[in-house]
Amino acid sequence: MPVTDASAPPPDGAVLRTAGLAKTYGGRTPVEALRPLDLEVGPGETFGLLGPNGAGKTTLVKLLLGLVRPTAGEATLLGRPVSDADARREVGYLPEGHRFPPFLTGRETLDLFARVGGVDADRRARRAPALLDLVRLGGAADRKVGTYSKGMLQRLGIAQALMNRPRLVFLDEPTDGVDPVGRREIRELIETLRDDGVTVFLNSHLLSEVERVCTRVAILKDGALVREGTVDDLTRVGRAWRLLTTPLPPPTAEALGGVVDPDPAPRADGLALAHVVVPDRGALGAVLDRLRADGVDVEAVEPVRQSLEELFVEVVTHDDAPPRPGQRRGLEA
Amino acid sequence: MVGLLLLTLRELRARKVVVGLFVVATLVWVVLAFALQLDVVDGSLAGARLFGQDAGASETLVLDGDGRPVIDPVTGEPMTEAAPPAFGGSLLESLVFGAQTFVAGAAYWIGILLALFATGGLVASLVERGGVDVLLTKPLSRSKVLAGRLAGVWVVMLALTVYLFGAVWLVMSIKSGIWNPRFLLAIGAVFGMFAVLYGVVALVGVWSGSAPLSLIATLALLFVTLVLAIPNLADQVSRVWRPLVVGLYAVLPKFGSVGTSLVPQLATGQPVASLTPLLSSLAFGAVCYAGAFALFSRKDY
Repeated sequence: MPVTDASAPPPDGAVLRTAGLAKTYGGRTPVEALRPLDLEVGPGETFGLLGPNGAGKTTLVKLLLGLVRPTAGEATLLGRPVSDADARREVGYLPEGHRFPPFLTGRETLDLFARVGGVDADRRARRAPALLDLVRLGGAADRKVGTYSKGMLQRLGIAQALMNRPRLVFLDEPTDGVDPVGRREIRELIETLRDDGVTVFLNSHLLSEVERVCTRVAILKDGALVREGTVDDLTRVGRAWRLLTTPLPPPTAEALGGVVDPDPAPRADGLALAHVVVPDRGALGAVLDRLRADGVDVEAVEPVRQSLEELFVEVVTHDDAPPRPGQRRGLEA
Repeated sequence: MVGLLLLTLRELRARKVVVGLFVVATLVWVVLAFALQLDVVDGSLAGARLFGQDAGASETLVLDGDGRPVIDPVTGEPMTEAAPPAFGGSLLESLVFGAQTFVAGAAYWIGILLALFATGGLVASLVERGGVDVLLTKPLSRSKVLAGRLAGVWVVMLALTVYLFGAVWLVMSIKSGIWNPRFLLAIGAVFGMFAVLYGVVALVGVWSGSAPLSLIATLALLFVTLVLAIPNLADQVSRVWRPLVVGLYAVLPKFGSVGTSLVPQLATGQPVASLTPLLSSLAFGAVCYAGAFALFSRKDY
């Protein structure tokens, strides 16, 4: 069963778009929750939104879904302004800490909330059992929601978000409270959505999950977008490469000292690892030419990457860290 | 919006208090149907028994030559030309109207309070975080979301009122042969005043998200309106406070006036002296609902 109906092209190329979107919560001490933000998410992307607590992630999601009114700027979903209720007709949402009425069964929950969302009876009757099976709640479909575990509630929430066959799905901490097996299943479900062409907007603290499933991520800090790009671009450590070569002759190693740092650990395949730190690709090419000239066979060259978690920690603890090539800083861009 | 209505009905059904109110309403008409026995001979009351016991003192059953009671069965006062019976022109009418007045009064003074307690949490639960997020991200306007919730409460409470009044009216009419359709008009007054007070629940519930606070605020308002209904209160307070008392009385719902005048008049088929207390109360309720909708539409969740 297709999880969604994402075949129709987005009206204007971007499934989600913001322009100068900002939110300041009023009160005695106004809080600038989101600074003017320009963002676009294209069709079929799995977009991860990251940031420490209080960074403005939830505010951004709520602005996009019309739960919060913007102080400035505008946003569109599927080509319609978010203030238009119809913009949400093909949008699914799993809120963080959602609460479904405990007196309803899982099946009734899907049916009633889809009915509220304007899903017709035929589709509800077809999709509810299929989605309950998809999220492994088929056996508990007729149990009261009040008896569900946290993981089951989370899976029910995901099924609820998919009842209207959305083209855009917001998942706010979808793996919260879910065991490792359930997390893997949710990850696989997100991959299924992606394969179906659905745009997924994922808000999660589990960076490893985001790294695995997201094609593009953005990092918010103090209400501002501080990094945005593909996972590959963001996690690449600039100017550092890892080489797999035949062992370096000592004169070569000595001549390239300070540039090439051989890994002393022996390898079973007889090859050797080395790290190269040079200013640019041209310098890297010069190093490779020198190695080849000295009779060293180069088996592989790959850029050194850091994990998304390492990048995240670096970004949120060093707010002045400049973006690397291929990355974009939100406010300056 | 139908989905929201159904969701609200399910929530109300899950609240045992609402089911309890229907049980109480059933008990009332069942008691009247089976425990109250009226012996009607030629359109006059020959005897009345409640749970097998005489329903009144023997004097109350003494009729004059025209079949009218010598003693008013409701007030217990001897009846003269200057003091006609409290309800109707015969003992049977007095008994029927008395029972209907009692039911209408109980429904008004006690039933509305119980209904508020039973349903007061529904607005606060609507705006509860985790629940409101799901509903407001559906493709329907916020006003429809709130309207669906309020409509669910109104439908159930109207059904309860119609059920109670309709059943009591049918039972008493069939038993006595006295059909007083104006008794059914009291449904409008009772439900209308419930709706007015529920407007306060809605406004405070949307504003605060707190079920206890919305109920406390409503009960506090109720108390104030009852104090303001004290006869000649404006004359008894100092001149400084007089404008405030008069102003509040004009603006706030007239819960006491409607309960002591309009509801008994409707229940007994007497001419209605004035609809102003009810209409001004409805206006107050409308303002509260308008405020609740405006607040709900603008609030960040």
